[in-house]
Amino acid sequence: MAKYYIGLDGGSTYLKAALIGNGRVIDTMVRNTGIDNDGTARKIANELCIRNSLKPSDIGYIMATGYSRKVLEVADDDISEITAHAYGVRLTAPKEYRPGMIIDIGGQDSKIIYLDGNYGVKNFSMNDKCAAGTGKFMEVIAQILETTIDNVGTLSLQAKNPCDINSTCVVFAQSEVISLVARKYDRCDILAGMHQSMAKRIIKMMKKSEKGGDILMTGGGALNIGLHRAFEEELMRDVYVARYPQFNGAIGVALIASERG
Amino acid sequence: MFTKRTETLRQRQDRRFINKETQTAAKYLRRMKELSGAPEGIEPFYNTLERIYVDMDYVKSGAYRHTIGTYCVMTPPELIYAAGAMPVKLCSGNYTAFSIGDDIAPRDACPLVKAVAGFKQTGLMPVYEDCSMMIVPITCDCKKKIAGMLSDRCEVMTLHIPATRNDDDIEEFTRQLYELMERLENITGNRITYESLSDAFRIVGYAQYELSEFIRLKKQMPYLIRGSHAMAILNAASYMTAGEWGRALHSVNETLKKRIAEKKTVTSKKLPRILLTGSPIVFPNIKIPLLIEENGGIVAGDETCMGERGMWDPAVITDNSFDGMINALANRALRPCPCPTFADNSQRIYRIKQLIKENQIQGVIYHVLRGCLVYDFEYKRIEDELGKLGIPVIRLESDYNEEDIEQLRIRIEAFIELIKLRQEPEKNKAVRKNF
Repeated sequence: MAKYYIGLDGGSTYLKAALIGNGRVIDTMVRNTGIDNDGTARKIANELCIRNSLKPSDIGYIMATGYSRKVLEVADDDISEITAHAYGVRLTAPKEYRPGMIIDIGGQDSKIIYLDGNYGVKNFSMNDKCAAGTGKFMEVIAQILETTIDNVGTLSLQAKNPCDINSTCVVFAQSEVISLVARKYDRCDILAGMHQSMAKRIIKMMKKSEKGGDILMTGGGALNIGLHRAFEEELMRDVYVARYPQFNGAIGVALIASERG
Repeated sequence: MFTKRTETLRQRQDRRFINKETQTAAKYLRRMKELSGAPEGIEPFYNTLERIYVDMDYVKSGAYRHTIGTYCVMTPPELIYAAGAMPVKLCSGNYTAFSIGDDIAPRDACPLVKAVAGFKQTGLMPVYEDCSMMIVPITCDCKKKIAGMLSDRCEVMTLHIPATRNDDDIEEFTRQLYELMERLENITGNRITYESLSDAFRIVGYAQYELSEFIRLKKQMPYLIRGSHAMAILNAASYMTAGEWGRALHSVNETLKKRIAEKKTVTSKKLPRILLTGSPIVFPNIKIPLLIEENGGIVAGDETCMGERGMWDPAVITDNSFDGMINALANRALRPCPCPTFADNSQRIYRIKQLIKENQIQGVIYHVLRGCLVYDFEYKRIEDELGKLGIPVIRLESDYNEEDIEQLRIRIEAFIELIKLRQEPEKNKAVRKNF
């Protein structure tokens, strides 16, 4: 009898997959989305099975989410990112987390999801019109400062006097950073300023009335310790980080799949 | 080299406006027709919307020599028919007219009023230009100011809508109806008599009877008709005489009854049943009901003033005199009305709860037009009340343009998924052979 489930999250940059069984995350995998979304998804599902010595018949149900969810034909069904992320935190949130708010920072969008006490979606806000406050923003700034996105978090923790970056638009912020570099500001200070500016930008999307519960960060952005700190400072509250933050959506759909198959 | 221009600047602008307006209307009509399961007999309603917005033609007023523009549900159509004229509802959902009105009205004014201002500014819309008079109930600040703007271009009568509904308020409203009667008589040259008013009650009463029958059929489970199609039918009422509309609705009702007998429904799938409430939804701004039904939901309840609420309440005559009839109109206009213009509007909550129970609603979508303060104010209370019943509710703010469609789509999609996930999922039993 099948008891394993696969969740696929076809994002703008990467395709993430999660394998779950018995209510636990067993394995995760990530690949560049590429041009053949469905082909990549089939390959990734196959590799997950081989790596965990499973046969395709062991997989009860496959569910997809993300931008390319409609074209992932290997999946049995698909669901929106909002629902997927809300489900994912049931497995990825730390034990002490009381459901309240999820901040998801993806490659090209960022969203805030408000949960009720039972992890049901109450409401959500999304920024999907511009790249401010997304992973792309970090990538652009990291490039100017001759570092990579994996290092910006730790570098920014060494900052002594974080700079002000006031532009919300990625393109304008880019020129603002270039002028800071020209004025010989420290790279760590600039990065700390960038995190502050991103956090402020995302906090503006939050609803003041939604105060119950704790705050949890998901998405690739949650891997950035500098950004995590910036959120805690700006919100003046503890912010939790999900386990497998990048795979939260994929884990969420895998969990929904487990209710279907 | 310049191209030789044969038209004047004004002519070119007008032509562009007409092109854009007719294209948008045609597009939304097509999307509505593409939704499966429309009942037989819906064509007269489609044809009316097409005639007004795509062909940009006059209303077919038949024997009525004058048309009178009205706004809001408080204007009594009976008085207008009694004066031998036809009422035409002018609340607008037009994106093209909105873009013109956007420059005339202040930024925070609601799009409905901006669209009205835009149409009147261009002077190109026959249904507006043909009106001998416009009746504007003052239900909000935007309506008040638009009444002033419109009076530069045609005769306008405002109806003061009180904040409360005590006997004094009804008395004052009755007085206004007598004044309206006089002005209607002056314009049409016809006297409103006991006979003509009773006839008008019968004409409107017939349409109301067919509507109540329609609403009764519409809430049957499983569904006999989609909410978007019902919306088209109800919207078309603005541009048809009550008699013509009632007769056309009668044949739709017959189709729906036939569907019951043949056990035919719109779809065999279990679609989440959604109640739509909030700011008015006027053709062609029907993106929200369309998005709900294109994304796997069904609009099973409608508590909007261009929808089911519009003609829901018949006037009840308790005193068989002329005064008794006018009094009945005043009472009907104010007492049962769940419009948020009134200070205390708890009856809207009762109405919504009643609809949730009768139509087995699973979720409520609360539509707020940008700048529509009175509806936005009531959201909080309704959210709290529905929270007690465990009914999820989502507030959707939109404007008269298409830029927010993708954001609306994702919100509606997630809301429908939320309802679906509350239901017991169907188990998949097929065995997978490969990927």
